[in-house]
Amino acid sequence: MNAVVTAQRLPVISLQDVSFSYEGGIEALKRVSLRVAKGEKVAVVGGNGSGKTTLAKHLNGLLKPSSGKVLIGGQDSSRTSVATLARTVGYVFQNPDYQLFCTSVEEEVRFGPHSMGLGRDDESALVERSMKLMGIGHLREQSPISLSLGDRRKVAIASVLATSPEVFVLDEPTTGLDTVESAQLMATLDVLRSEGMTVVLITHEMRLVAQHMDRVIAMSEGSVAFDTEVEEAFSDSDRLRRCKLLAPPITVLAQRLRAQGALSKGAATPLQLVEQVVRVRGERR
Amino acid sequence: MTRFNDLYSEADTFLHRLDPRVKMASVLMLSLLAFIMSSLAYLLVLLTFIFILLLLARSSYRKTAFAMKFVLRFMALIAILWPLFDPSGTPVLIRLGPVVITEPGIWRGLTSAIRVGCLATVWYILIFTTSQRDLVRGLVKLGLRFDFGLALAIALRYFPAFGTVMDSIIDAQRSRGMEFEKGNIFARARKYVAVLGPAIVSALKTADMLALAMQSRAYGARRNRTYLRELRMRLSDYVALATVLAMFVVPAVAKYVLSVPI
Repeated sequence: MNAVVTAQRLPVISLQDVSFSYEGGIEALKRVSLRVAKGEKVAVVGGNGSGKTTLAKHLNGLLKPSSGKVLIGGQDSSRTSVATLARTVGYVFQNPDYQLFCTSVEEEVRFGPHSMGLGRDDESALVERSMKLMGIGHLREQSPISLSLGDRRKVAIASVLATSPEVFVLDEPTTGLDTVESAQLMATLDVLRSEGMTVVLITHEMRLVAQHMDRVIAMSEGSVAFDTEVEEAFSDSDRLRRCKLLAPPITVLAQRLRAQGALSKGAATPLQLVEQVVRVRGERR
Repeated sequence: MTRFNDLYSEADTFLHRLDPRVKMASVLMLSLLAFIMSSLAYLLVLLTFIFILLLLARSSYRKTAFAMKFVLRFMALIAILWPLFDPSGTPVLIRLGPVVITEPGIWRGLTSAIRVGCLATVWYILIFTTSQRDLVRGLVKLGLRFDFGLALAIALRYFPAFGTVMDSIIDAQRSRGMEFEKGNIFARARKYVAVLGPAIVSALKTADMLALAMQSRAYGARRNRTYLRELRMRLSDYVALATVLAMFVVPAVAKYVLSVPI
C-alpha cells in the first residue's frame, strides 16, 4: 500500500503531530504524524526503545498524547475511554500472561464479547470463529495458564479477536512461536486482512514484514524515520542500519544480484525473487 | 501517579554514613519516644527534631515531596476526624445533633496527628538514607538468617517491577473493554480478579525462575558465608547511638519513674 494512496483513503487511525513524554521527562514520541487506512497491513519496526510500543499504545488510547491529537475511528482518544475505543481497536500484548485469568480457554475468549454486552448468540459465534481461526478449539476446556507459551499466545490473540475489532494491533505476536506456528499466525492475519480488517504488527522479524505486510513504519528515537511500502523500505541498507534494522536475507540476495546486473528490480519475498529470475531469463532468451 | 523504584537517595551525609544497625535502633527508639510522650509541646519539639533530621538527610525533593504528601494528608485527616469521634471532656465547643466537639477532643486530635507525623517521618528518614542492601545487611548482622535476609532483599528489589507488571495487566484488561472505574465497590473488587490472577501467576513464575537461576549459579553450595564489606561500628556510630539512647531513656525515666507529665 502506497503512503500516498493511504493518505487519500479514509483513515481509521490518524495521528496528528503527536508527542508523548513519560513521567520523569523521557520523550518517547516526537511530533509523530501518520494515517492508517481501513484494510491496511502495517508493520511498525525499529530498535529497542525506538518508541514502537509507545506508538502502539496510542492506537487504542492506553496512552494519551502529551500534545497533538489521535483520532481512532473519528473519535479523539483523549476524550474517549479505552473501553469504548476497544470496540474499534483490539490490542494484543507482547506477554500473553498479562491477559489470561479465566479458568478455561473458552471462558477467556468469551470475556471480551461478554464485557461488550453482545447477545448470547453473537457472543458464541464470535468465540467459535476466533477459536477456529487460531486453531485452539480442542483446548476449549483447558486452563489457559497450563498451556505452552505458543498456545497461551494463541488464546490471547483469539480473546482479542473475539471482540471483533476493526483494527488489530499485535505487539510482537510471534515471540515464543515456532516457525510453523508463526506461519499459521501470519496466514490468519492474511485472512483477517482479506475480510477488511486493518492489521498493525509491531515486530523485529523482517522476514515476516517482507512476506506479509504492505507498509512499513520505521521508528527511531521516538520519530518516524521512514513510512513507505515494503519493497522500498528494504531498498536502502544505510537507512535500515540507522534504524537498527536489517533487510531479510532474500532482499539482500536480490540486491546483490541486482548490483551484478542479474536482476532488474529488487525482491522482498522468495516468490518475488523467483518471478524476477524467470523474467530476466525470459528477456535474455 | 509518580512511582519510585526505591525511595533511597544517594548522598554523603552523616545519616547515610551511619551503621544501618544504629539507624534501625534509633528509629525504633524515636518511634517509642513518640508513644511515650503525651504532651503536645514535647511532641512538637520531637517533630521539629525529626524534621531537622529530614532536612539533613538531603533526599531528593521529588522523593521527599512524594513521601511527605502522604504523611501530611494523614496527619490532617487524624486532626480533623479525631474531635468528631471523641466527644469526651469539657468545654463543649460545638454541638450539632449527634456531633459534639470538645476542646480536649481537639487537643487529643492534634497530639495524635503529630505523634503519627513523628512516627511516619522517622521511618521515611531510615528509608531515604539506607539502601535496601544495607538494611538487609544490618538485619542479617543483627541475627536474621541469611536466607531470610536474601529473600527480603529480593522481594524489595522486585516490588517496583511487580508494580510495572500490575500496570501492564491493567492495561491489557482495559484493552479488552474492562472498565475498572465503573460499578459499586463490590463490582470493582470483582473486576480486580482479572488483575490479581495474572499478577500472582506472573509473580510465582518469576520466583520459580529466579530460584532455578540461583541454584544453577551454586546458591547454597557453601554453608559459611563471607562478606565483601563487613559492617563495623565506628566512633560516630557509638556517639549517635548514645545520643538517641539518652533522648529515649531520659524522658522515659522522667515519665515512668519520676512521674513528670511529658
